Amino acid sequence: MRPEIAALSADMERLGYIADPAIATALFLAREMRRPLLIEGDAGVGKTEIAKVLARLEETELIRLQCYEGLDVSTALYEWNYQRQMLRLRIAADEGKGADEIEDLIFGRSYLLERPLLRAITRREGPAVLLIDEVDRADDGFEAFLLEVLSDFQVTIPELGTLRAEHVPYVVLTSNRSREIGDALRRRCLYLYIEHPTLEKEVRILHARVPGASVRLAEEIGRFMQALRRRRLSKAPGVAETLDWAQALLHLHSDHLDRETVAETLGCILKDQHDLRELAGSELDAVLVEAIG
Amino acid sequence: MTPGLVPHLARFGRALRERGVGVSLSDEADGLTALTLVDLGDRDEVRRALRVALKIRPRDVAAFEEVFARLWRAGRAGEEPAPAVSANPPLQAPRLPGAPRSPAPGRPPESERAVEVTFPEGEEPGYSPEAVLRRKPFEEYSAADLLAMERLLARLALRLATRRSRRRVPARGRGEVDLRRSFRRALAHGGEFLSLARRARPIEEPRLVVLCDTSGSMDPHARFLLGFVLALRRVARSTEVFAFNTSLVRLTPFLRPGRIDLVLERLAAFVPDWSGGTRIGECLADFVAYDLDSTVNGRTVVLILSDGLDRGDVAPLAGAMRAIRGRARRVFWLNPLAGDARYEPTARAMAAALPYVDRLLPAHNLESLERLLPLLAA
Repeated sequence: MRPEIAALSADMERLGYIADPAIATALFLAREMRRPLLIEGDAGVGKTEIAKVLARLEETELIRLQCYEGLDVSTALYEWNYQRQMLRLRIAADEGKGADEIEDLIFGRSYLLERPLLRAITRREGPAVLLIDEVDRADDGFEAFLLEVLSDFQVTIPELGTLRAEHVPYVVLTSNRSREIGDALRRRCLYLYIEHPTLEKEVRILHARVPGASVRLAEEIGRFMQALRRRRLSKAPGVAETLDWAQALLHLHSDHLDRETVAETLGCILKDQHDLRELAGSELDAVLVEAIG
Repeated sequence: MTPGLVPHLARFGRALRERGVGVSLSDEADGLTALTLVDLGDRDEVRRALRVALKIRPRDVAAFEEVFARLWRAGRAGEEPAPAVSANPPLQAPRLPGAPRSPAPGRPPESERAVEVTFPEGEEPGYSPEAVLRRKPFEEYSAADLLAMERLLARLALRLATRRSRRRVPARGRGEVDLRRSFRRALAHGGEFLSLARRARPIEEPRLVVLCDTSGSMDPHARFLLGFVLALRRVARSTEVFAFNTSLVRLTPFLRPGRIDLVLERLAAFVPDWSGGTRIGECLADFVAYDLDSTVNGRTVVLILSDGLDRGDVAPLAGAMRAIRGRARRVFWLNPLAGDARYEPTARAMAAALPYVDRLLPAHNLESLERLLPLLAA
C-alpha cells in the first residue's frame, strides 16, 4: 500500500472516521487527481461524513448544498438581494441618476447573495470542501447544470460577467441511488460505492465514536446489526443507526444486550413499521441468539 | 508514467465492455492516472483504485472482479501483448427506418391461432356498469365493453397529466411573483414596477415507452392493454409503442386517432406474426440496440406488457433488461397472470427479468390498470 494512503487512513481514524482501504484509496485519488468524488451507498453508511472529515483534514470550510427536486439556480448558485436593490434604486432615482448608472450601481457584487456553489467557487482563503448531498434527488436538468459547473469551475452571471474559481474546491457528491446518476456526470467524477461495514469495522467504528461503550457491548451490538442486515428488511439500518442505538443503550446504562432493553430500543435502528412488526416476536430471539450466542 | 500500462489498461477496458460494463476512453484515462498514483505492487490497491477510477457500479462489480482476476495476473507476468486491432463486432445489416425487423429464422411460432379475434355475441352496448367493468377480466370482454372501456380510460388517463413540475418557468398572469424578472423590467421603466413578472410550475407530460407482447399466450390481453396504451397516448402524446412477438415492430407511426377497436384491427394487420410465438429476449435486445437511446431517457417510464412465457434463452433478456433499467426512470412489468393471487414469477423469462424491474404489476382488468396510473405520472 502507498504510505500516503495508509497515512490518510490513519488521519481519518484520528478524526473518528474508520476508513477501510477502499474508502481511503478513493479519497486519496480524488484529492490527488483533483476530481469530484461521487459516493453511493445505502442510507447511513457514512457518505456525508466523508466530506466532513475531508474538510477537517484540510482545515477548511465545508460548504453544503442539499439537493431536492426542483432545486434551481437561485437556490444553488446565486440570487440578487432585491430588497437592498430596491432601496438603492429609490435613492438613486431621487438623486436623479441615469438608467445606466443605476444599473451599474445595483448589480454590483455587494448586492449578490452567494449560494453554496458560488461560495465554493469564490472562496478566497483556499479551496473549500463542497458537499453536494443527495444529488439523486435533484432533477436531470440540474444535473446538467452541475456538470457544467464541475467541468469549468466558473459561472456566468449575466449582470456581472464570468466568475472563475480562485481555488478549485474539493467536491464530494453523494447519492442514495433513488435514480441513476447520468453517465456524463459520473464520468466527470471518481466513484466510490460504500457497502455496509463488516463486523470488525463496525466494532471499530463503535469504539471510535461511542467511547463509553464496553468491549462486550460494542461486540454484541456489532453482531446484532450484522445479523439484522442478513434479514430481509425494507430498510436496512446503517452505521448511523448503530451509533444512535449505542448512545441510547449507554444512557440506559447497559453494558450488554438483553432482550427487554433491545425490544424497548428497537425503534433506534428500525425505522419502518413493517420491519418493526417482523422483528417483534420469535424473530427477535433468533437475531439475539446470533448476536449473543 | 509507465508506458507498459497503456495497452494493458486498454485490453482491460475492452474486456469489461465485452462483459457489458460501460467503460469509456475517458474512464480508461482516469484509470491510467490513478495507477500512477498507487502502489502497483499491491494487487488489492490496484483493484480498488481501478474500481474508483473506472466508476464501477455495484451491479458491475462481479464482472469487474472476474475480469480483473483474469487479466491482471496476465499483465503482471508481462506477456500477452494487446492485439493491434480489436476483434470488431460483426457488422449488423442496416435496417430501413420503419421497416419491421425481419423475424429470425427457425423457431416456428408456438401457436397457429388465427389473426382475427371474434367477440362474444349478444351483449348490448352500455350494458356494463362501470363497477362491473373495472373488475371484469379482459378475457371476458365483449366489443361493447371495449367501447365502454375506451370512454372510461379517456377519463382516467386525464389523471396522468396532473403532476406539476417542481421547476418554475415564466408564466403569464398567474403564479408567484418572479422578483428577478420583475426587477429587470422595472429597470427599463426607471425603477417603476408597472407590471410584475410571474412564474409558475408547468404541468409535466409523462414520458412513456410501452413494449407490448402480442404473442399467442397474450392474445386475450394484448388488445385491451394496447387499448389502454392508446388512451394514455391522448395525455402523454410522446408515448412510444412497440409490439413484439417473434420480432419487434415500432407501432408509433401507425397510431392515429380513432376508435380503439379500429386502430387495433389496423395494428393487427401491421404486426407480423400477431398471436404467434414469443422471443422476448431477442426482441428486447433489438429494442436496446436500435431504439433505446432515442426513446428512453432519465425521465422515461418503460412499461413492458407480457406474461413472460418464453422458452428461449434468458441471457439476452437479462442483458436487455439491464440496459433498459440503466437508462429509464422506472421500469414496470405488467403481467396479466399476476392478477391471480397464487401467481409466482417463476417462468424462466419472468424470473430473469425480475431483478431489473422496479415493480411487477398485475394487468388483468381495468382496476389493476387504474392503480398503475399514479405510478406513471412524470
